[in-house]
Amino acid sequence: MAVTYRAGVDIGGTFTDIVLLGSDGTVHTKKISSSVGNYAQAIVDGLSEVFGETGLSGAAIDEIRHGTTVASNAILEHKGARVGLITTKGFRDVLEIRTLRMPKLYDIGWTKPEPLVERYLRKVVDERIDHRGHVERALDPADAGRAVDALLAEKVEAIAVCLLNSFANPVHEAMLKEIIVAKAPHLPRSLSFEVLPEIKEYERTSTTVINAYVMPIVATYLRALRKGLDAGGIPARLLLMQSNGGLTTDGAAAERPMNIIESGPAGGVVGAQALARTKDLDKIITFDMGGTTAKASMVEHGEVARAQEYAVGAGIMIGSRLLTGAGYTLKVPAIDLAEVGAGGGSHVWIDGGGALQAGPESAGASPGPVCYDQGGTEPTITDANVLLGYINPGHLVGGALKLNADKARAVFAEKIAKPLGMPIERAAYGAHLIVASNMIRAIKAVSTERGRDPRDFALFAFGGNGPLFAAGMAASLGINRVVVPPSAGLFSSFGLLYADVEHHYARTFRRLLRRADLGEIAAAWDALARQASDQLAAEGFTGERARLRRSAALHYKGQSYELTVPVPPGAIDTRMATHLEQAFAEEHERTYGHRAGPDEPVELVSIQLVGSGLREGSGVPQSVAPSRRDSVVQTSRQAYFGDPHGWLETPVLSRADLAGGHAGPLIVEEYDSTCVVPPGAHAERDDGGNIVISIG
Amino acid sequence: MAESSDPIELELFKNAIFSIADEMALTVFRTTYSGVLKDNMDYSTGFADANGKLAAQGLTLPGHLGSVPTAMDAIMRHFKDNMAPGDVFIMNDPFDGGMHLPDIFVFKPLYHAGERLAFACTVCHHIDVGGRVAGSNASDSTEIYAEGLRIAPMKLYEAGKLNKTIMTFIEKNVRLPVQLFGDLRAQLAACHIGETQFAEIVARYGPEKTRFYLKEVIDYAERLTRAALEKLPDGEWSFEDWIDDDGVDYGKPIRLFVTIRKTGGHMMVDWTGTNPQVKGAINNTLSFTKAASYTGVRSVLPPGIPNNEGVFRAIEVICPPGTVGNGVLPAACAARGLTGFRMVDCMFGALAMMLPDKVKAAGDGGNTGISIGGYDAGRKPFVYVDFTCGAWGARPWADGLDGNSHMFANMASHSIEVTEAEQPMQLLAYEFVADRAGAGKFRGGVPFRRDYKFLEDEGMLQVRSDRRDHRPFGLYGGSPGAPSENYMDPDGENRLLPSKLTMTIKKGEVFRHVLAGAGGWGDPLERDPAAVLRDVRNELLSPQKALADYGVVVDTPAWTIDAAATARRRDEIRRARGWTETPKVQWHEPELLRRAAE
Repeated sequence: MAVTYRAGVDIGGTFTDIVLLGSDGTVHTKKISSSVGNYAQAIVDGLSEVFGETGLSGAAIDEIRHGTTVASNAILEHKGARVGLITTKGFRDVLEIRTLRMPKLYDIGWTKPEPLVERYLRKVVDERIDHRGHVERALDPADAGRAVDALLAEKVEAIAVCLLNSFANPVHEAMLKEIIVAKAPHLPRSLSFEVLPEIKEYERTSTTVINAYVMPIVATYLRALRKGLDAGGIPARLLLMQSNGGLTTDGAAAERPMNIIESGPAGGVVGAQALARTKDLDKIITFDMGGTTAKASMVEHGEVARAQEYAVGAGIMIGSRLLTGAGYTLKVPAIDLAEVGAGGGSHVWIDGGGALQAGPESAGASPGPVCYDQGGTEPTITDANVLLGYINPGHLVGGALKLNADKARAVFAEKIAKPLGMPIERAAYGAHLIVASNMIRAIKAVSTERGRDPRDFALFAFGGNGPLFAAGMAASLGINRVVVPPSAGLFSSFGLLYADVEHHYARTFRRLLRRADLGEIAAAWDALARQASDQLAAEGFTGERARLRRSAALHYKGQSYELTVPVPPGAIDTRMATHLEQAFAEEHERTYGHRAGPDEPVELVSIQLVGSGLREGSGVPQSVAPSRRDSVVQTSRQAYFGDPHGWLETPVLSRADLAGGHAGPLIVEEYDSTCVVPPGAHAERDDGGNIVISIG
Repeated sequence: MAESSDPIELELFKNAIFSIADEMALTVFRTTYSGVLKDNMDYSTGFADANGKLAAQGLTLPGHLGSVPTAMDAIMRHFKDNMAPGDVFIMNDPFDGGMHLPDIFVFKPLYHAGERLAFACTVCHHIDVGGRVAGSNASDSTEIYAEGLRIAPMKLYEAGKLNKTIMTFIEKNVRLPVQLFGDLRAQLAACHIGETQFAEIVARYGPEKTRFYLKEVIDYAERLTRAALEKLPDGEWSFEDWIDDDGVDYGKPIRLFVTIRKTGGHMMVDWTGTNPQVKGAINNTLSFTKAASYTGVRSVLPPGIPNNEGVFRAIEVICPPGTVGNGVLPAACAARGLTGFRMVDCMFGALAMMLPDKVKAAGDGGNTGISIGGYDAGRKPFVYVDFTCGAWGARPWADGLDGNSHMFANMASHSIEVTEAEQPMQLLAYEFVADRAGAGKFRGGVPFRRDYKFLEDEGMLQVRSDRRDHRPFGLYGGSPGAPSENYMDPDGENRLLPSKLTMTIKKGEVFRHVLAGAGGWGDPLERDPAAVLRDVRNELLSPQKALADYGVVVDTPAWTIDAAATARRRDEIRRARGWTETPKVQWHEPELLRRAAE
């Protein structure tokens, strides 16, 4: 049988990575510059280049999986559509007032993010529905028509509609939809009852508006990409990575672009999840560190931990989970990533109180660390890693980038070691530890904050700098196993290849479990199930390949924060209701250390359903065989590991050399990353090509 | 062996200890029952060292910075040698370490091998602690005894054993015990998480080093604060502002007066000259006055200074006992939030004299507190508490924020849909009101209004608002903002109500609150006409007001500016007002005349 390929295409800040994985495990990789006006064309050109190098043809590709930042960039750069918003009279400013909160205390210079719809494009209609869905004031079609006309006269490029309490009864929004369709059939529109039928007017309005805001730009992009692929003789179907870690079709993505906003960082996490399943690792924490940021997430029992809402473009700050108000609120399920401003480029500095600091300021790609010799003047974490002997000044990117270690040393001596009155290697090692402790906060944010003990998890490290820090961080967290996948620096695009198609549905359904009409709840869940099955069938997933999973968001009546528990298969009857109450109480105790008494009523807040389209087979090859071989000449060099070790002569190996296992200290040098195994740890290469490090 | 501080270990320790404080805060946030607590972030968590000195406070509410030390002092005074592992302390008495009765403190001493090393600290605003008015927030109580249950520093747990007597006393004296106990559990859960994680720190560093670095983190904050203060000019500046009244003696203004003296790395904030304490419930404890003072100063210091005792050493706050800034028994203080917010604004006024280019004009005055409580047909109590604020004073470089919490609180608004699902209440409006922001080169924040329709048969409506007579001041040529207003039945009789009130509300009645508009900064005639046009187009400013305040002539159908007519109009205004110099502070004029007459 002919070898077929899946292609993963991940657009990053500087580079677009293309990875081709053959059904026989063959891997081809390609890096192309992201700095072009036309991403779609760049992807087609990049694929053509791979074909040129490998002799493959477009017909050999059966699927292209794509992580894109086109939607998030449109929001960050305010380049989305001119959107008009229709809302309930009296509530014109819900979008702009937001939640009143700001993300920084004591900050007199705070600037609120500009609303995505300016006030004069926000129109109101005179209607009112109460929280039970009863129509108190009927919407007059003439009034609705006037609001639509006013927006059309302003030449809006998309219309968003979000009326108060529409989650309880969408009749007025449905009327507005009909009117919009009649007056402007081709105008992109986003209705809150379709997009997010859930309680909380600000979150729903914001989500509905964001969806409208990126609809035209995403649709245009996907059309151009499809056209380019067709013209390039690549008939493969196109799947987009969503923020929740599942794939979706290009059609569905154009319809609900709100689902692909955090497409970028999802690939690595999903890849880690897939590899963990094949390795029978029940609990992993993923750790992805690049040049400017580090991200952590948790996978437990094969499931990625998800957040029900997040803020687009909120920036990165420690404590951000407490201090909200930055960016744009999007209430769609997304992989719960904790992010900190810590990377190779993070500045190392001494603060006014005499403490050593690392980040969050970063030298970025330009000028980059001092050792890059491109004009950088501030010491960075990469400079520290060079001084410590972890990074080979002659080897980065396979030797394509030569580093100036002397410059790094001079800067560290002058700006850090001398003022602190300590030897240069201690200062560099201190910077290394401090940036690691900042990243440990991200790991704790996804684990201990959910009541999970990181010691029960394996650390799955990738990104250019992840494998360099992972073993040391694992040691301080009490984690005893670290896994570094092949091509760790390109793992985000690899991950795309291992994902499944997934669609998430949710609906607010506030009922006390003990008093609810269970038939009504069952019917609502069935409706979501039908919606999911129809969508999956349209994409070719039926029978065993279409999997539906229900979950419920619950809280004790009176609480304002929910926990989500899975709903097992079976009828929604009193036994199920009792089971859910118990499962909730257990999860509450696990997460927060306590539960209320058995008499305290549990309230169902929303019903949720995930429909997955499964591939045949696991999709993850036994092992991958990169076509690019790393040719490390076995050697060794001095590396510094702090007290009590100090400088140690440290072997430098390639991944292949680890087959039989090897005790640390050692360094594995590869094209796209460097892995450091400290003294006391032990590393070996497993059957799948992963480096597995055991700590102490 | 005496420890010496290592700059790397210090940073690692600080990171660890503050991440626990934050995690404790998240625990409260997620497990709390009450929307007030969660949405207003009206709680704090932290760590104190073995002697009760605050070492780390989680990032939640500026209004609580300064609260833990006073409370810890009370605990130490009462229990110094009478503490053991497994003890948990509870307290809320404003005259014995607390702030106001709804703020309940829970402290847990943390031990290693029988030796006390630290305290896990939490303080949360509870939705109701009894007293004569639901929500325990009444501004018209005249003595502490009417405000609710006073809890002296006591052991809630003794050696791990719950004191059920205390719980029973609480249960019988509050309106919503289930909610209160739910939130108390959240505090205990936070202390539990703090204890577990602190044990890990002790395991890593050992007790000696832990003790040493708890102290060092405090010294470090002091060094940072002093280094930042060094960079500000030395000197003395004063500022005066007025609260309309206390809701008991209507129409009798209450003076706030602050003097800041800056010398090198030290700042003295002196509230001598502030009004004697009043009958109404707006008397601060000294701890709250301190928090307001720190908030003002910290807004002009660089970010990144840890919240702890070290800050307090560099910024000294004094306020004579028996004043609204430092009430003594039997002062009522439930609604003291008002005074705290206004003290922050008063600090801004003084700091603006010191640093004209760095400080904002007055905002809406901080939280308006609205509570409605009563009993439904089945005699089940309900308590609805809403705090709201949103208009920031203009800044020397930008307009004031529209719809953003006052800096002292950083609260979030409660979802309208959730409110309607849970309370006998319907919101009819929550939107900006035009023509009420103070004019300026940079205008003040635009206020909003909220309309509440009451759906139960009968309830008690309590409102604590201000800035009716004494409007938010403008700075360096900026105009003051419009006053706050309260109305009953806005679409019918539209009866104007006083700024503070307690009254019966009946089914179907609609109460409207309009926030005060914020003060402007700089000469309105220097405002970019394009910015004026934008506000007109967005219906935040009428064309008439654009002409009168800014001299900008807007052609509304075309959305353009008549530049020539604007230049002429601005000239006329300039001549007519006859400024010889730009006024540093602008108040509402009738109020100035009245005060001159007194």
